[in-house]
Amino acid sequence: MGLFDKILKKKEAEVVSPAAGRCVSIKKVPDPTFGEEIMGKGVAIEPADGKFYAPADGVVSTLFPTLHAIGITTPEGVEILLHVGLDTVKLNGKHFTVHVKQDDQVKKGDLILEADLAAIAAEGYQTITPVLVCNTPDFKEVVPVAEKDVAAGDVVLQIKL
Amino acid sequence: MKTVEYVVADPLGLHARPAGLLVKKAAAYKSGVTLKNAETGRSADAKRIMGVMSLGVKKGNRIELSIEGEDEDTAAAELKAFLQENL
Repeated sequence: MGLFDKILKKKEAEVVSPAAGRCVSIKKVPDPTFGEEIMGKGVAIEPADGKFYAPADGVVSTLFPTLHAIGITTPEGVEILLHVGLDTVKLNGKHFTVHVKQDDQVKKGDLILEADLAAIAAEGYQTITPVLVCNTPDFKEVVPVAEKDVAAGDVVLQIKL
Repeated sequence: MKTVEYVVADPLGLHARPAGLLVKKAAAYKSGVTLKNAETGRSADAKRIMGVMSLGVKKGNRIELSIEGEDEDTAAAELKAFLQENL
């Protein structure tokens, strides 16, 4: 059975935490774009350090010019957005170092982005990081885990294909 | 088919929040809506958030919405107003 057949037969996909920290409900994010799930269902990570890893295998489909957000599309078609902090678009790339380019292939757990969380907080921005599925309506269900402390690589979203 | 052209004035460009709002708005119409970044020539379905964000639209970029379907007149007028108010 080829890889393509395996993907077609899969019933579920997983998204893992991109960072160590605390995983909370996305509804707790004090920004309606995320908290009201306009961008899709997901979770939010309160990151403990500034290292962010790929939350799944896939292709870097979006890399914001301002480096604060990365979109990854998985082989199952799950479009994952990782958005580090709130309103951090206004930092215009300051305090962010990105290790990937648009259209790069990434493996789950690859270091993709580093952020100086202390410097971002010192400028008055929240560092809470929504991790969500942009194309939520394409799936039967997107199920977030309950609030808990997580390591990078712990499953935080189950997607029923 | 209707076309709406707009030059992005928002200094932050078409980032997550306006992309989310644009997609929510576009998805409400029966017409198909395609967004093109005229600077790069790349296009995406305006009803899909990741596609819209992947166009990397920045301040000063000219964008084009192509709208085709039974409610294209209403959609074109309302989406034009949306762009003027939000971007």
